[in-house]
Amino acid sequence: MNTHKSEKFHAKTKTEGSVCTVFLSGELDLSVAPDFRLVMEPLVGEAGLDLVINLKELRYIDSTGIGILLSILKARHGMDVKFIVEEVPPQIQKLFDMTGIAKFFAPQENSH
Amino acid sequence: MSDDVQRVVLQLPASAEYVDIVRLNLYGIASKMGFTYEDIEDMKVAVSEACNNSVLYAYGQDDGLVDVIFEVGPDALSIIVKDEGESFDGVDSAAERTTLHDKELSDVQVGGLGFYLMQALMDDVSVVSEAGRGTVVTLTKRLHYSEEKV
Repeated sequence: MNTHKSEKFHAKTKTEGSVCTVFLSGELDLSVAPDFRLVMEPLVGEAGLDLVINLKELRYIDSTGIGILLSILKARHGMDVKFIVEEVPPQIQKLFDMTGIAKFFAPQENSH
Repeated sequence: MSDDVQRVVLQLPASAEYVDIVRLNLYGIASKMGFTYEDIEDMKVAVSEACNNSVLYAYGQDDGLVDVIFEVGPDALSIIVKDEGESFDGVDSAAERTTLHDKELSDVQVGGLGFYLMQALMDDVSVVSEAGRGTVVTLTKRLHYSEEKV
């Protein structure tokens, strides 16, 4: 079905020491939400890891994707462990600002 | 011809795998009309949210269809997303349209942002839902010709 491969969603995980970074690329929408959940599920509960999601190559996100980020945020916050979203492209930052999720991604606000 | 509006009609299976096809068509039409990159990105998000709602709530089965009608006017693009599903869940409730701005993380509900995004990103949004007769979402964005770049 996916004939335009450049936009296809992909998640690549890289662990260095105690930091685990998930690099997202392509379009994160309803159709690939289950794939993204599957990648994140085993990582979210890892209290010993600092979890980072890198959005540099992400071209598009919908409310489903934002919802998944939000549930990860809640789970990590509940465990009192780190969750960072980095290198957010401008058009995606705009959606984070509009919906109000942006304030939860600010690293300084993680601690209280 | 009299109203200067031309229509492009797309009919797709009500399945998440086809929502990107709507985005590709939207991109083609909107860029041809002269919309800015930012306006096109806004419309992509809004139209996808409307389609997501049809896929998620309006159909229980696999054989539903979604109609997407692009109405190309001289100074505006309207995108109509139409399904014949049962109904939208909670389309009129205020909770569906709220943001997270004045909420603590512990109070935040996952989901419910789709309608807010449609309204925030388009110039006009109308949602008409009738029990048993489906839902019609109309999203309109106007072309701005003479705006100076900031």
